[in-house]
Amino acid sequence: MIAEFWYKIKNSPLSLLLVVGLLLSIGLVTLYSIAQVQAQTPPNAFSKQMIFLIPATILMIFMTLVSKGLVHKYIYLGYGFIVLAVFIPFFGEKVAGTYRWINLGLPFGLQPSEIAKWVIVITLARYLSDHNLQMNNFASNLVPFAIAILPTFIVLNQPDLGTAFVMMTPVIPMLFWVGARPYHLFLIVAPLFSILAASNEFTFTIWATILAIVIYMAKPQLWNGVGIYFGNIFLGLIFPLMWNALRPFQQKRVLTLINPDLDPLGAGYQIIQSKTALGSGGLFGKGWGQGTQTHLKFLPVQESDFIVSVIGEEFGFVMLFIMLVLFSWFIVKIIKLGLNASDRFSGLILIGISTIFMAHIFVNCAMTAGMIPVKGLPLPFVSYGGSFLLSSFMMIGLVLNFGREELD
Amino acid sequence: MLKSANTVSKSKFWFLAGFVIFVHLVLAYRFFQLQVLDHNEYSRRAENNRIRATSIPAPRGLILDRNGEIIVDNYPTYIVSAIGAEIVDKEKNYKVISVATGIDTAILKQNYKNYYRNRFLPTRLAKDLTIGQLSRLEEAKDELTGIVYSQFPERIFNSKIRASHVLGYLKEIDQGMMVDMDEQSDYQYGDLVGWSGLERQYESQLRGEKGVAYYQVDAFGREAGAVEGHENILPNPGNDIHTTLDVSLQTLLENEFNDKKGTAIVSNPRTGGILAYVSAPDYKPDLFTGMISSKDWKTVIADSNRPLLNRVTNGTYPPGSIYKMVVGVELLEKQLVTTDWSVFCTGEYEFYDRTFRCWNENGHGKINLEQAIVQSCDVYFYQAIQNVDINDLAIRSKQFLHGLITAIDLPTEMKGRVPDRQFMNKLHGRYGWSKGAMLNLSIGQGEILVTPLQMVAYTNLLATRGKTYPLHLVQSQNEMIDAPAIRSRTWNRIQDYMELTITQSNGTGRWSNPKIPGLRIGGKTGTAENPHGEPHAWFIAYGEKDDEMITITILIENGGSGGEVAAPIAKRVFQHYYGPKTTKLVSK
Repeated sequence: MIAEFWYKIKNSPLSLLLVVGLLLSIGLVTLYSIAQVQAQTPPNAFSKQMIFLIPATILMIFMTLVSKGLVHKYIYLGYGFIVLAVFIPFFGEKVAGTYRWINLGLPFGLQPSEIAKWVIVITLARYLSDHNLQMNNFASNLVPFAIAILPTFIVLNQPDLGTAFVMMTPVIPMLFWVGARPYHLFLIVAPLFSILAASNEFTFTIWATILAIVIYMAKPQLWNGVGIYFGNIFLGLIFPLMWNALRPFQQKRVLTLINPDLDPLGAGYQIIQSKTALGSGGLFGKGWGQGTQTHLKFLPVQESDFIVSVIGEEFGFVMLFIMLVLFSWFIVKIIKLGLNASDRFSGLILIGISTIFMAHIFVNCAMTAGMIPVKGLPLPFVSYGGSFLLSSFMMIGLVLNFGREELD
Repeated sequence: MLKSANTVSKSKFWFLAGFVIFVHLVLAYRFFQLQVLDHNEYSRRAENNRIRATSIPAPRGLILDRNGEIIVDNYPTYIVSAIGAEIVDKEKNYKVISVATGIDTAILKQNYKNYYRNRFLPTRLAKDLTIGQLSRLEEAKDELTGIVYSQFPERIFNSKIRASHVLGYLKEIDQGMMVDMDEQSDYQYGDLVGWSGLERQYESQLRGEKGVAYYQVDAFGREAGAVEGHENILPNPGNDIHTTLDVSLQTLLENEFNDKKGTAIVSNPRTGGILAYVSAPDYKPDLFTGMISSKDWKTVIADSNRPLLNRVTNGTYPPGSIYKMVVGVELLEKQLVTTDWSVFCTGEYEFYDRTFRCWNENGHGKINLEQAIVQSCDVYFYQAIQNVDINDLAIRSKQFLHGLITAIDLPTEMKGRVPDRQFMNKLHGRYGWSKGAMLNLSIGQGEILVTPLQMVAYTNLLATRGKTYPLHLVQSQNEMIDAPAIRSRTWNRIQDYMELTITQSNGTGRWSNPKIPGLRIGGKTGTAENPHGEPHAWFIAYGEKDDEMITITILIENGGSGGEVAAPIAKRVFQHYYGPKTTKLVSK
């Protein structure tokens, strides 16, 4: 048995762990700097992160060793559980205005939506590999979307916009992987763009043009194409009504993206301060522990969501560039493992997980750099955060397991 | 098992990999743009143009007495603070401040250590600065780095009274408390929040809204003027609250209790408003102003007289003989005795193998219900109670608010304890108690415990024949409380007995009578045995003259006889209130 485990571990793509280790180090060094400069005595984010590494590693090893067959067999059951689990926080107390955490009387809360991210991916992988779907048929895309939308919808109401986004994104590359027509995938995301583009006439005109060109090039049946086109335009036109249905804080977040001065002490303040911290860091940074901007301005959640500002200010563009190189290598490597996987189930899991990581990296960095609204998603392996660290390590375990070269 | 083959074209891989690399390049370019291309711009912003947004505290609302006299006020104090991250040479700064203000550098150093939260928040070095000290500091401004001063409205109290248990105090919010705060509220670390008494109960009204001041701060932490485009937001002061308290009456009663432990409450039963509220011993209300030193705190905590205990709402005591009206009402309402039915008191009463004593060892002789209340005969009640069911008595007690909260506008209140059958079975076992327990209960001893505030409500019910209002400290319009269903004839009798208690030459309450023409007084004494030493002295009374009514409830812990110790205090209250020399204090 031990020999079998050892064999499994030895044949896993261990080079990924080296990259994970490097990313973790960047995060821990930065967390240590924050704890030092702000004179926080343990337990602080640094010490807690160190402690969380222990269960995280154990879970990772477990995920590396667990039988693929078992994962395949029980994932639908797991999916059922996780849909229930993301519901449970609604019966508990509101924490910081949201229903994200389950309180089991432990000194920390559990966030089932973190686990849900990759459970959805495996569920989709099983569905797409068990059934030989006719991907030329548009309807084949609908069940996979339904699988992801159910838990996403619950999480959206917690409310947790960022996590809901991460839960939905893997569907598209996974469908692409099994041969869905890009035109169909385009149609599925088109309504979202129709809504977003409706914020002003200029973007809406451009979008309407793109939509027309794409539909024309795909050469659908006439009434089908006309229906899709005007359906989207109509959606864009009633968007102002839907906007009013948004929660005030969500409206505020979107608006402060367009004009951060609207809320200089709230979300806009975070973006301004984050950009100033990054920008003043320069090419080589101000040095470890010297980042006066990030520390001085009481930038909220600098240990978790805005850790990139601290890294950028203290270690400069060079470190952020190295970090991005590590991340891109890491993700491309997982996709490569997906290409080489011996079966479709494994391949799809790897594609899905790589998408989850990619979504986190993009949203976090783009938010820190003021490109998108503040969405509160942590950066994998770098940001402080227990639930997410555990979940990330479990995903790495899955990658090592399903990315392993099988010789039999 | 995992049969379907992974047949994927390489082009799909290249497409996805290309997309991933593209996204990373976009992010890298964005960082490059911010950090390298626009570096100078952001550096300049970081170094020269830091905006500091500080909150301007809102003055809390005042607390006023019924005549508009100020009980709690604010006065402006000046605070000097240091920002750790911006201070260049601490020793040098301390020296400059010390020269300008005359405050020893050791004190500044100690304060910095005590109040330090993190190096980016202002840490208080000294408070209560005068304008003179402040202007000398202003002159030395160029030598200071990272030193800021701010105005801070601090609580100041009426010197005539303490009333610390009513007024309560403020506390600086720390991390532990922050967790319990509503996320939407704009409380911050270091803000003061009402922590007890009226300050807590009426926090939302008293508090007001903070303002925001924007400053440009240069690289050395010196303020460099206002920020263009950012108007300061002025604070919104809190609302004043008008209490029902009467400063002169409060002063009188606090002086009475200077050397005593206990409580005294004067209220208007026609409104439920409290005129005076003493829980002694108490503490000076400014004990908690700003930040209390740990030494002061330890002294208060270690005091065996427990000055922090609000005895009125949170002290529980056996009611003793003042409970006899509850039993009296039950006897009359259920017609368990006639007014003529009498008992012969020899000073003691044999009940099976136990002897129950009357407080009067010589005995009262032949005595009916009227005289049993007037002379507070225990033996009468030992005999009469034997026809009463314990649960009926519990229901009757609750009609008079024993064992229930009075819902006064203070943050905490104890319920006390009214025993019923279930309670006694639980405490002693089903066969572990007998009628003997009822004998004790009949004179307000044994398992029953009440708070002085419940006794105020009880007295108000007796004074108004049930037509009274909820007790309160801040003026407000209230609905009358549900009057207990008691026959008018019973009310007449009980009030007659209570009035005879004061006027009859051997009535136990005679020492409370100031003999003011036209003043009608009814009352009852109590001397409650307790395990902590001398009995507690109780006295409750109502007085009415020219349609103006007040009730008085007095408890002196281990004071001895209620008639001898507590009743004379009530006399002085009546004199003060109805006597010829004082002006009328209650308008209606």
